[in-house]
Amino acid sequence: MSSKIKITINNKEIEVKKDSFLLDALRELKIPVPTLCDHKDLTPTGSCRFCLVEIESRGKKKCVTSCNYPVRNEIVVHTNSDRIKKHRKMLAEMYLGRYPNVKVIKEIAMVCGVTESRFKSEITDENPNACVLCGHCVRACHEFTQEDILDFAGRGINRHMTMPFGEVDRHCIGCTSCAHVCPTGAIEIIDDLNHPNDPDMIKNGGMEINAEMATLDKDQCRMREVGTANIVDVMNAYDLLPVRNYRFGCDDETPNIGSKTLKAKYITQKVNDACWKGCSMACAKAVDNFLLRTGPYAGDRVLVDGPEYETAAGAANMGCFDSDFLMEYNFYCDTYGVDTISFATTMAFVMESFEAGQITVKHTGGMELNFGAIDESLELLHQMSRGEGFGKEVGNGIRWLQNKWIKEYGADEKFLMDIGMQVKGLEVSEYVSKESIAQQAGYAMANKGPQHDEAWLIFMDMVNNELPTDEAKAEALYYFPMWRTWFGLHGLCKLPWNDVVPTSNKDEKNTAKVLGHVRNYFRLFEGMTGKTLDEKGMLAQSERVYNLQRVMNILLGFGERKDDIMPYRGVGPVTVVEYESRKERYDTNLKEVIGIDPEGKSIEEKMKIIREYRENAYSNLMDVVYRRKGWTKNGTPTPEHLKKLGIDLPEILKIVEERISTEK
Amino acid sequence: MIIVNGRNKLEWVEGMTVQDVMDKMGYDYSLITVTVNNEIVSEDEYDSYKVADASDVKAIHLCHGG
Repeated sequence: MSSKIKITINNKEIEVKKDSFLLDALRELKIPVPTLCDHKDLTPTGSCRFCLVEIESRGKKKCVTSCNYPVRNEIVVHTNSDRIKKHRKMLAEMYLGRYPNVKVIKEIAMVCGVTESRFKSEITDENPNACVLCGHCVRACHEFTQEDILDFAGRGINRHMTMPFGEVDRHCIGCTSCAHVCPTGAIEIIDDLNHPNDPDMIKNGGMEINAEMATLDKDQCRMREVGTANIVDVMNAYDLLPVRNYRFGCDDETPNIGSKTLKAKYITQKVNDACWKGCSMACAKAVDNFLLRTGPYAGDRVLVDGPEYETAAGAANMGCFDSDFLMEYNFYCDTYGVDTISFATTMAFVMESFEAGQITVKHTGGMELNFGAIDESLELLHQMSRGEGFGKEVGNGIRWLQNKWIKEYGADEKFLMDIGMQVKGLEVSEYVSKESIAQQAGYAMANKGPQHDEAWLIFMDMVNNELPTDEAKAEALYYFPMWRTWFGLHGLCKLPWNDVVPTSNKDEKNTAKVLGHVRNYFRLFEGMTGKTLDEKGMLAQSERVYNLQRVMNILLGFGERKDDIMPYRGVGPVTVVEYESRKERYDTNLKEVIGIDPEGKSIEEKMKIIREYRENAYSNLMDVVYRRKGWTKNGTPTPEHLKKLGIDLPEILKIVEERISTEK
Repeated sequence: MIIVNGRNKLEWVEGMTVQDVMDKMGYDYSLITVTVNNEIVSEDEYDSYKVADASDVKAIHLCHGG
């Protein structure tokens, strides 16, 4: 709940938000107040004392530093009383006496009506770039990058800024935040590593992100606090968390593996994800002293790296809502080099197949593999690492298991193909795509297989209704995969693009693109290479690579229309229980979207109608997306398109031309 | 009656605020931009901004994640 408070400043009334800082109100009224230690992106400390103002509160008068004074009740403020003017003047003289040649001090002194100081002594520092102890660098090191390398040491006149023990600390990663915020030039960067074309352009762009992480993240995605695990709570709330092999989108037990539990019980470290130590987001987390229960390290206390969202959501997908299990499977997947997504999605498929009687204990080495089988899942993971038993078979992934069970066990082919969440042989990552056709295409049409990071369109499509036509969906399915490809091309992390969002994004025409950050990435590119870049240039860079990837898909046998289709579990209800869990949604869908009255129809009849409708709609969307990408109806890049992109090399043309000749 | 995100119909009640709309829709995500009849409403105003009957409300969720 917001609440506003009326305050009076120099006889003018203004309404401010409760707990906002007084200096913000002064600035809103354009009342000049000198400041030295204040910085727009750093927590105010009130240490320089220049921003002192006089306030009357409940009949009492006192002086407060306006930068860190939170307004909590009606007050009368005087910014220019004789008492304040006298205080500022004295302060300016003292600063000027100690730092007579520092530009910023001379300017502030001038504002306070001081050009000469009465105070000169043995501590007078004539250096024009002297450190004035404003503390910007100390706070930037703590708040921007969370490194805490810099701090103050000494007391009184011996107070100074330093690294631990006065030595250059090897933990300093050279992020340059301290130099960027230093108002006097006391900290100088003498070596711009990698020799960028324009170091300042890069620093300015980087500092924008650092400042946003320091000021906005705590109210947005909480990446610093819990990392991507915050998404578990969001997906559960929006019915998008894969539960028991993507049949359902939420579960009452989700809080057991949600971000609050992880933070309270496990996360002990905020660390970088081995990508860059100075990252101001530091989304990766670590768990110290976790006691392992199973496997070769049973009884040992270990450090677990994570868990990330996908790993936690994978536990829900296996029906294992147990946080200790989550930590243990995360640790052993990392230790064995097994992808947590592939393991969890494959296990979810195995569990549903077991419960449906498609496989039995005869096939699993005697294991009861119902959803929630915690001990058995861990045992299969250990078997997988040893190359033994049923675990070894599970390690081959869903596609391999489907083939074996259909051919050798006579399992129900249609059912296994419907519930086996893999495309192009890769297991689907941990989002429920059933109610978003654009997300289905985002997954299934991705060249590398169904990984969500090409086009995560669930909110745009399902919640926001921003993609009402096939053409709008196709445009998103063109733009976002190209934009995401661009990160890969340049070795840049995607998370600072939309895991923190600038406040100005609300005013952008297309909020989903987070254009302020897109422009920031383009500036980073220009700062490094000296070449300007815009959206058109970015798309051109990515599209060349993207089309080459597609040609590779063709060579490897995964580049056709049939390879770009989601298993039906990712499209609609395969089983009656799924329909019943979202009956209202599906009945409304039948009535309002498909135009068929659900009244009097059996669930099986309704499921059949929805399936036909959704599969047709997806097929139509594929046509439009292929057209937008410059590909044939079978998903092959046309020679004309490759020529336009400048990648019409003879060996590439040969591959697509051969494919196209078989399509006619 | 008001329309949320061009698709969801919500019954309008006297004094309805943006926060009421968000609560009714179950929208508690942290990255949402709200507009009422194309006018941006800041988060501070959610509980005071009154939504008129027949308003076109948009609650645009931005995506994030790994």
